[in-house]
Amino acid sequence: MKNKFFVLLLSFILIISISGCATNQSKLGGSTDDKTLTIAQGADMVSFDIHNHNNTSTEAIHTNMFDYLVKRDKNMQLQPDLATSWKQINDKTMRFKLRKGVKFHNGDPFTANDVKFTLERVAKDGKLLDHPNYVQIKEVKVVDDYTVDIITNQPEPVLLNRVSRIASGILPSKYIKEKGWDYFLKHPIGTGPYQFVEWNKGDRIVLKANKNYFGSKPKWNKLIFRVIPEDSTRVAELLSGDVDIAMNVPPEDWDRINKNDQTYVAKSPSQRVMMLEVRQTKGTVTANPKVREAIDLAIDKKTIVDSLFDGAATLTRTRVTPGNNGANEDLYKKTLYDPEKAKQLLKEAGYGNGLTLHLSAPSGRYLKDKESAELIASMLGKVGIKVKLDLLEWSRFSEKYSSKSFNELFLIGFGNSMMDASNSLTNLKQAEAKGETDYVNPKTQRLLEKAEHNMNSDSRNKEYAEAQELIANDRPNIYLYQLDQVAGVKKNIKFTPRLDEMIYADDITTK
Amino acid sequence: MNYLIKNLVKSVPVLILITIIVFILVRITGNPVSLMLPETATHADRVALTKALGLNDPLYIQYFHYLRDLITGNFGTSFRYHESALPIVLERMPATITLAFAAMGIALLISIPLGILSAIKRNSILDVFITGASVLGKAMPNFWLGIMLILVFAEILNILPVSGSGTPLHLILPAITLGTGIAAQITRLVRSSMLEILNMDYIRTARSKGLVEFLVIYKHAFRNALIPVVTIIALQTPTLIGGTLVTEQIFAWPGLGQLLVESVNVRDMAVVQAATFIIAIFVILSNLLADVLYRYLDPRIKYQ
Repeated sequence: MKNKFFVLLLSFILIISISGCATNQSKLGGSTDDKTLTIAQGADMVSFDIHNHNNTSTEAIHTNMFDYLVKRDKNMQLQPDLATSWKQINDKTMRFKLRKGVKFHNGDPFTANDVKFTLERVAKDGKLLDHPNYVQIKEVKVVDDYTVDIITNQPEPVLLNRVSRIASGILPSKYIKEKGWDYFLKHPIGTGPYQFVEWNKGDRIVLKANKNYFGSKPKWNKLIFRVIPEDSTRVAELLSGDVDIAMNVPPEDWDRINKNDQTYVAKSPSQRVMMLEVRQTKGTVTANPKVREAIDLAIDKKTIVDSLFDGAATLTRTRVTPGNNGANEDLYKKTLYDPEKAKQLLKEAGYGNGLTLHLSAPSGRYLKDKESAELIASMLGKVGIKVKLDLLEWSRFSEKYSSKSFNELFLIGFGNSMMDASNSLTNLKQAEAKGETDYVNPKTQRLLEKAEHNMNSDSRNKEYAEAQELIANDRPNIYLYQLDQVAGVKKNIKFTPRLDEMIYADDITTK
Repeated sequence: MNYLIKNLVKSVPVLILITIIVFILVRITGNPVSLMLPETATHADRVALTKALGLNDPLYIQYFHYLRDLITGNFGTSFRYHESALPIVLERMPATITLAFAAMGIALLISIPLGILSAIKRNSILDVFITGASVLGKAMPNFWLGIMLILVFAEILNILPVSGSGTPLHLILPAITLGTGIAAQITRLVRSSMLEILNMDYIRTARSKGLVEFLVIYKHAFRNALIPVVTIIALQTPTLIGGTLVTEQIFAWPGLGQLLVESVNVRDMAVVQAATFIIAIFVILSNLLADVLYRYLDPRIKYQ
């Protein structure tokens, strides 16, 4: 008996210590010196397959390893990156001069072949998640080692936007052809200022400075992107000093961060505009424009922004906000609220005794989505619109969204990585709107169609601005507010979240 | 030996039933296609991806394909990571096993001395206190305890890391969080088992022959009281795994629990299926282990 227990106890202790050792590799948590930058995000990176993740927080890491042909600076202005200059040759062809002397992290030179390989891969392989955003590219022609022509199927006014966003990082064609794609995914290389060290899934991605980077010397020796799914834990890591920047911190924690004398809250607008999509299918109550206007006027957007987001959102009547091509700034920082007029409109529409409609909203997808929907429902209730609120978990919601099976109203918030009006308004083109909002206005339709392939940016922007006026009036979408991105940051670090949600480590400096 | 084989064979239908339940649940609760594509993707893009993922076929055909692949050891491809699901799951196992063993270690360190003390000082203030504490330990939700521990030990006292992994220090708070509930349960078990044995004739005999009290407790009572405890430890596997879902999420611990939560959120079907399959095997094996241990420690129980 004695021996049996002894053996059991001993083997138990042995297993504990062995399994303990198995994961206790030499990884230090947090910033260890002032040249290491540690950033905590809520989700793990998806993959190093830059064309197959469609995920902003993944791309935010990639931008430090891979370079685009053209990149956006802090102010969202396009700047030369791997391309030094570009010129429109004809409506469907743009010629890029490439930077010479650039090397991938393994020492291979960067040439036109890499550009062809990368862009044609995503443009031609229908299985890649980002394919829909690159299908416009017909061919990439290598003119010489440092010149390429990108040929599009149609005149393409947003080509530069396309090659400066998610999935446009340039891949090493020679390395991938020699070593194979699977090897690349485990040992990724690019031309960027930081190079890959390790990815401990579910825990962290570590990058180090690329000493041979063509641009100015990388500001940090080491970048650590940590995965911390729980909001309160991410904030606790910041407050205890183990991370330098905690992305996406919820309003409940802002006070805690600002009160700590080592940290502050950094806010700035994001590309995400929250809105109600309104069905105007014949036979629905919202087919009546007066009802749609009444809904808009009944919602006090400012109160929602102040009470739920502590002011960290910007009121807007358009989805094309400043920083995007074609933004209509007359509709930005504007809102409508007039409950008395809303009641009047309902009376005129023949609903003096009230009406009932459905509002669907996701729960847990956007910051305070459920709470916003509840507030909106109660505001509509005050003018006599009884709302049947349908809160759905995101995968359910997105399934209903893609099958276009919502009733009168649903709450949704889109981003826009293209930084262009075409992307923001595409859901209102007649063909896309069919079954979703059933929005039909021949004038809007004409403007959207014309602008889509208009190569003259001035007249194109005007067309989009006019279309936004019409949309604000027709209300197939009632725009509410543009959410801020909010990060918690250490006092000695200077960081403002970028409009495109990318995290360029070299934009971040110590104070 | 026959007994073992018989039980292993019996567990095959259980495993198949589990695969069916998980397979259906993960499909009726949402569609990964709309979660994967950009919001601007067209209807045609969605149709194409649905087809490419094989989600077009009727459920039973999909299940049949899944089962056919499963037999050859192919758990399918992760929609999110575009890699085989099984390696993704296995990669996360060591972290979870480490956490589970550490939690169990802490649970035993707390519960065995407390359980014995509570039994030998029966009805004393100490006993009331320990029993009360174990009720509290069992009732405290993991997420609340975890957040409180972070607040006190990492934020205020700043003596332990908040979250993450890498050093043994990182293991302490999640292991306590996960171990507390189990400690509470085992404390109560040790106490009742000890009480039962302390009333046995052979204990009275041991005392009456003049043995030191320590030896009576340690050699005669505790060893025998431990038999049910050892088996209950093996039966704690489901509790431990359930607990890791919450604990790993709070402490950003890169294990199976965190992977499973994330995969369910994005409907990464192959990973969810592979992970639950592996967990099911663990639970079945640990139940079997409990049985075997029980028989080994108490030779009066024979293999049937």
